[in-house]
Amino acid sequence: MDVRIEGLSKSFGTNQVLKSLDMTFPERQFVTLLGPSGCGKTTLLRMIAGLERASAGAIYFGGHRVDHLSPGDRNIAMVFQSYALYPTMDVAANIGYGLKVRGMPRGERAEKVGIVAKVLEIGALLARKPRALSGGQRQRVALGRAMVRKPDIFLMDEPLSNLDAKLRTTMRGELKRFHLDLETTSIYVTHDQLEAMTMSDLVAVMNQGVVQQFGTPEEVYDRPANLFVAGFIGSPPMNFADVEVGSEAGAPVLRIAGRAIPAPPQFDFAAAPRHLTLGIRPQDVRMAALDEPRAVPGTVWITELIGSERLIEVEIAPKMRVTAEVKSDIRASLNEAVAVTFDASRVHLFDPTTGLALARR
Amino acid sequence: MTARDVAIRLALYALLAAVTFLVCFPLIWAFFTSMKPKDEIFLWPPTLWPNTWTLENYRALLVGRDAYFQAGANNNAAPPPSAFFLDWFWNSVIVTIGTTVITTIVSTLAAYSLTRFSFPGQRAVPYLALVGYMVPSIIFVFPMFLVMVDLRLTDTLLSLVFGYVCITLPFSMWLMWAFFRGVPIEIEEAALVDGASRLRVFWEIVLPTAWPGIVAAAIFTVIVSWNDYLFGRVFMNSMENLPLTVGVMHFFDGTHVDWGLMMASSVLMTMPMAILFMALQRHLVAGFGAGAVKG
Repeated sequence: MDVRIEGLSKSFGTNQVLKSLDMTFPERQFVTLLGPSGCGKTTLLRMIAGLERASAGAIYFGGHRVDHLSPGDRNIAMVFQSYALYPTMDVAANIGYGLKVRGMPRGERAEKVGIVAKVLEIGALLARKPRALSGGQRQRVALGRAMVRKPDIFLMDEPLSNLDAKLRTTMRGELKRFHLDLETTSIYVTHDQLEAMTMSDLVAVMNQGVVQQFGTPEEVYDRPANLFVAGFIGSPPMNFADVEVGSEAGAPVLRIAGRAIPAPPQFDFAAAPRHLTLGIRPQDVRMAALDEPRAVPGTVWITELIGSERLIEVEIAPKMRVTAEVKSDIRASLNEAVAVTFDASRVHLFDPTTGLALARR
Repeated sequence: MTARDVAIRLALYALLAAVTFLVCFPLIWAFFTSMKPKDEIFLWPPTLWPNTWTLENYRALLVGRDAYFQAGANNNAAPPPSAFFLDWFWNSVIVTIGTTVITTIVSTLAAYSLTRFSFPGQRAVPYLALVGYMVPSIIFVFPMFLVMVDLRLTDTLLSLVFGYVCITLPFSMWLMWAFFRGVPIEIEEAALVDGASRLRVFWEIVLPTAWPGIVAAAIFTVIVSWNDYLFGRVFMNSMENLPLTVGVMHFFDGTHVDWGLMMASSVLMTMPMAILFMALQRHLVAGFGAGAVKG
C-alpha cells in the first residue's frame, strides 16, 4: 500500500517543524527519512502513525485518507527507538497484544506468536519479562510485535540507535530481510547515513522541516540536489571550495586558489553565475606530482589513517583545505609540499546564493 | 575475609541489633503489658515477662460490649469505654478504606492527566500540591470543622473521610505524578498503534506498570487516616462515632490510666498495619524507589 502526503504541515506553537510536504512513498519500498536531529523526520513518521495531528494537509494510505483515523485503525506497525515493550507483560504477551486487542482467540494467537518467535529466534524467551532481555533481544521482540500483525505500513523510528556497533550491522541486514519478507511499505527514520544508504530503496533527505532531496541512495550520493544534501551525505564529508568561472584559450576553466582547472564538461556554464561553489568528495581527490599540469599545489595540514585508507588534508590556500582519501600506502608528512587533482567527472557545482546544484547537460 | 572485615561486620550487626531493639522494645513492652493482670502492671521492680498470663484486657475490649448489655436492662450506669472498642475499630476501618479508595482513584487519574495532557497550570499543580502538603493539618482543621458544621456533617464518619482526603490527596497525587513521569509514553503509543483504545491503554498498560506507585500512595493514605488523632478529636463527639485513636484516650479518666486496656488496644491497633506492611512490603520498596531508577 502506498503512502501519499499532501501539503502536510506541523507547528508546535510558533515553531514550524514541517513545511507543507508533498511526497509519495511507493508500495513495498523501503523509504528512509534521513536528516539531522530536529529536521522533522520523527514528527513526520509520528503523523503517518497517527500519534501526532497535522496542522494542515492530508495523508493517504492506498488512496484512502487516513488523517482522521486513530493509530489503531490504520493497520500500521511501529518500532520505537526505546522499543517500548510493555514492562509488565512477558515476551509472548508483548508480541500478541495487538492480536488480543483485535479479539483473536487465545489458541490462534499463541500459534501466530510462536511462528514469529521462531522466525526471530526468540522462541526460548517467550516467558521472560522485557527487563530480563538484552538490547538485541528487546529489539527482536519489538520487531516481532510489529510483524505478527501483518501491517500495511511498517514504521521504524531509529530502531538501531540503542544497539552497539556490531549488533547494529547485523540488525541492519535483518531489518532489510524482514522488509522483503513482509512485503509492506516501510518507512524508516534515522540520522545515520550509513543505515539510510545501505537499507533504502529511496532516501528522503530532510532539513528544517523541508525535504531537500528524495531519490535513490545513488541519486542523493552522486547527484546531490543542493549544498545541504552534498554536505550531509558521504563520509568523510564532501570538500567545498569557492571557484570562479573563467576561460583560457577559448575553453572554460574554474579558477581555484589562483590555479585554473579545466571546467567539468557535464555542466553548462552559459547560464551559470561567475562565482560557484565546487564540491568534490575526498574519494575523488587524488594526490599528484608537484609538476603535474592542472594540479593544485598545497601543503599537508594533517593526515589520518582510517584502516585501509588514509585521509590527507591539504591546505591549498589560506583557510582553504581539501581532504583526499587515498590508499593507506600513500604517505605524506606534515607541511610537505604536495599537489592534488580532482576527478573532473565527479566534480559537483552549486550556486552559492541558492545552494542549488548547477544544471547538468 | 580478614579479621578487620569480620570486626567491621560484627560492629555493624551490633549497631543494627541495637537499633532494632530500640524500635521494637516499646512494641514488645506493650504486648507483654497487655497480657498482664492489672496488679502486675504496677509491680516494682517491673517484670518484662508476665508472671501471670491473662487475656482479661482483650476480653474487655472485644466482648466487653456484649457483657455490658447481657448484664441486664436494670443496668443504669453508662457503659465503660472499653465497651465501645469494636465500634471505634470499625469506624477507623471504614474511614480508612473510604479515604484510601477515594484518594487513590482521584490521585491516580489526576496524576496521569498531569503527565499526559497539556492544559494551563499543568506544571504548577504538582508543586502547589506539595506546598499544600507541607502546611500543617492543624491549620486546616478548624476552618474545615466550620465547613462540616455548615454541611451538617459533624460527628459523622463522612466528615472524617472528607478531612483525610483533603490532607492525603495532594501528596498522594504528587507521588503518583512523580511515578507516572517515569513511565515512558512510548509504551502507551505502542499500545495505541497495536489498536487499543485510550481507556484500554490506561487499564491494561498504564495501571499495571504504575502498580508499585499506586500501592505506595495507597499505603501512605492508609497510614495517615489510620493514625490521625486531630481530625477525629475535632470533628467527632459521640462515643460510638470516634475513631480508634481518639477512643482509646478514654482509657485515661482523669484519675487513673488503665494501662492494660491501653496496651491491648495498641496491640490490636498495630496489628492491621503490621499485616498490611508484611503483605505489601515488596511493592512498597519498588514504589518508593521508583522515581530514582528507570525500569
